[in-house]
Amino acid sequence: MEQLAERAPLFSDEMEKGLTLTLAMEEAARCLLCFDAPCSQACPAGTDPGRFIRKLRFRNVTGAIRTIKENNPFGWTCGAVCPTAKLCELACSRTAIDKPIQIGKVQRFIVEHGWLMGFSPIKKPDKTGKGKVAVIGSGPAGLTCARELTLQGYEVTVFEKKGQAGGNLRYGIPPFRLSEEGLSREIDEIVSLGVTIKTNTPIEGKEGLKKLKDEGYQAVFVSTGLWDPIRLGIDGSDLTGVMSATEFLGSMRSGKASEMESLIQNKVVAVIGGGSVAMDAAQWAKKIGAKDVYVLYRRSYTEMPAEEKEKIQALNDGIHFLILTQPVKYVGNGALQGIVCRRTRLGDPDDSGRRRPEEIPDSDFELPFDVAIEALATRPEPALKEMAELSWDKNTISASDTSLQTSTPWVFAGGDIVRGPALVVEAVADGKKAAQAIVEHLEGKGE
Amino acid sequence: MKDLSIDFCGVKFMNPFMLSSSPVSNCAEMIARAFDAGWGGVAYKTLATQVTKIIHPSPRLNKYNNQACRMIGLQNVEQVSDRPLEHNLKDIKWLKKHYPKHIVVASIMGFSNKEWEILGKAAEDAGADMLELNFSCPHMAIEGSGSKVGQAFDLLEMFTETVKKAVTIPVMAKMTPNITDMNEPAMYAKKGGADAISAINTISAITEIGLDDLVPKPNVFGKGAASGYSGPCVKPVALRFMADMAQNPDLGLPISGIGGIETWVDVLEFLLLGASTIQVTTGIIHYGYRIVEDMMEGLSDYMEEKGFNSVSEIVGKALPNVHHTDEFDLSRQGVVEYDLDRCIGCGQCYIICQDGGGQALSWDAENRRPVMDEDRCLSCMACSFICPVEDMIHYKEMPKGWVRHDPEPMED
Repeated sequence: MEQLAERAPLFSDEMEKGLTLTLAMEEAARCLLCFDAPCSQACPAGTDPGRFIRKLRFRNVTGAIRTIKENNPFGWTCGAVCPTAKLCELACSRTAIDKPIQIGKVQRFIVEHGWLMGFSPIKKPDKTGKGKVAVIGSGPAGLTCARELTLQGYEVTVFEKKGQAGGNLRYGIPPFRLSEEGLSREIDEIVSLGVTIKTNTPIEGKEGLKKLKDEGYQAVFVSTGLWDPIRLGIDGSDLTGVMSATEFLGSMRSGKASEMESLIQNKVVAVIGGGSVAMDAAQWAKKIGAKDVYVLYRRSYTEMPAEEKEKIQALNDGIHFLILTQPVKYVGNGALQGIVCRRTRLGDPDDSGRRRPEEIPDSDFELPFDVAIEALATRPEPALKEMAELSWDKNTISASDTSLQTSTPWVFAGGDIVRGPALVVEAVADGKKAAQAIVEHLEGKGE
Repeated sequence: MKDLSIDFCGVKFMNPFMLSSSPVSNCAEMIARAFDAGWGGVAYKTLATQVTKIIHPSPRLNKYNNQACRMIGLQNVEQVSDRPLEHNLKDIKWLKKHYPKHIVVASIMGFSNKEWEILGKAAEDAGADMLELNFSCPHMAIEGSGSKVGQAFDLLEMFTETVKKAVTIPVMAKMTPNITDMNEPAMYAKKGGADAISAINTISAITEIGLDDLVPKPNVFGKGAASGYSGPCVKPVALRFMADMAQNPDLGLPISGIGGIETWVDVLEFLLLGASTIQVTTGIIHYGYRIVEDMMEGLSDYMEEKGFNSVSEIVGKALPNVHHTDEFDLSRQGVVEYDLDRCIGCGQCYIICQDGGGQALSWDAENRRPVMDEDRCLSCMACSFICPVEDMIHYKEMPKGWVRHDPEPMED
């Protein structure tokens, strides 16, 4: 086992190039090895960069892999997609000297290095058969919960509505941010520990949860995510070429990719919204051959919720940002031909603390577009809301902050369906928290 | 640029910077490029007669890295020159013809008294300005050669004497560091007639072991060996040998300093401890001949700043400050002082003071700052070595009579 041999980084043709052992070691050498490391306190999922970077620095590469993977089955995914600039890297003491350690990149490297050297730190549990638990939805929250319970000896089945596991990681994130092969590796690791994933198996509607109970599942974790896109609802929304980002991204990651590509190639595309999903959709449209891609956003650049890095990447990819621009009408004849937009200006801050856009009268203008992708918020699918056992707080399930237990004691819920749109790392945190609470519930340690 | 020239055994060097006898001085083509880059002289790769065919082990080198820092040390199983002697002599002749102002020192190694004599004469005839007697290679694959001679003092004296009788040019004896006291062999070399000492040759060492095959590196087809170790990591050892010899009033020979030199600061330290020329190999294997540019410029600017008019004024200048440890004034004590306004709160000082120092620091978790109890500080200074903020931690002398508090014994 040559754990210290240099190897070519994985997925570098697809995603941003990863670190090599030497580069990762150089980052580790920059680390100040803080006492009570601030980076380790900053991770919602309890990742301990202070420890895994120290392990790397002291050439304990296998130990570094173990530190990451024991804590987080999506260690690689988080390394790739986590907004580290807002979390661990924001807390990094090194920032006061020059710039933070590239913690996300080091984390991704360590997991990939484990794959390259064939080292799996997590072993199948010795004891099984403690009881049956169902998980609804195979995103990061659901699969994390499933792994944790499996490692504790439970028999866990994950029910997934779509054709493949991964939830938003697979159907919502483009491959240039997260390699599909890498994602599949992390999911395969979870499956190899004994987790069963049933795809194309939706659990929803009034009787959904009851059916699981009847089949002998002693507890259920609901982690479906939010898949119903909120639409602008303006005139012309039924024109061909007008779609949601959920539809666009989902199609690109399913059998409909070539259909979507021919719709977009050499066309002028508008992406409406300013979040990470909007940046992903805009960049992906550009990559598959759109002639021009515009991001239409009703507030200003600094109010855009997307990460700084994503915004800069989009701009450098040649995407045009039309800020202070509110779409008011789609125009066309069967197919989209243009969007009537209205100029806005910023007023006083709203509840989110961001300045509210105000429309400027008589400022309408029309721009020609062939495709419009609405990247606004998402909400739960209606069939979920019918589940009799759940109580809802507008568009999210009500669950205890500490245990993620819902109003029905054997049902727990987490991830976006409880938090609203949130980070992958927060979903992982929920999965861990729910697993712990389910164990306590079933083994009588809870109330 | 200051005049960096210096007299060494009556030979005028345009500057004190030499290539040492090694792969970096293997042939005239290479050495010519080094001269063009600014090196003032060369110890030409060790000549041997061709009675015994020289074959190099393969591979020849291994690195010693520390964390992200590469090649802080280098291990080699290099032998003496494997080129035909007449080719080397031709190259020396060519160099002296085309670079008459540069100094060519021919390194030689005989495997018998007669060979030492033949090689010395041949090198002088080829035009070498000086000779260097290689008594110190720690891994020659042939019995009765290299550092085995350097450790057998009577042989060392005899071979020196033989060469001295055979030639008129100055003769320098190169010392092995694989002994306790270098003054012993150096004195034998002097008795044999040596005009100068060069030191140190490489330290016999093992840098790394393959974790899969369990073979030390360089792995020569399943076999490893202790062999010559060099580079920045050996510099402190070399400096100590400089001071030892330069402070020996009985020796009194000029010294050519060798061992881990990469920068003008390294050069300066060797000069300050008594070397009057210096030699480099590992730095060149790491960075190339170009590093001499920074040595020249750095040394020249230092001389300008400090008012030195010649390199010889620097030689040995630090020796009066090198004492034995039993001469220290123990009545004066101090502690460290923190400029906490500049602290970034990493807490490394706290960890190492707890585990490796005097437990003088406690930790203010809320503000992420160390809190100092001066009376416990050992003034070990380790915290200042690891603190990432430049110049934040200083030494402070305490008033006479101040007493450090020792830890109390544990009680049940």
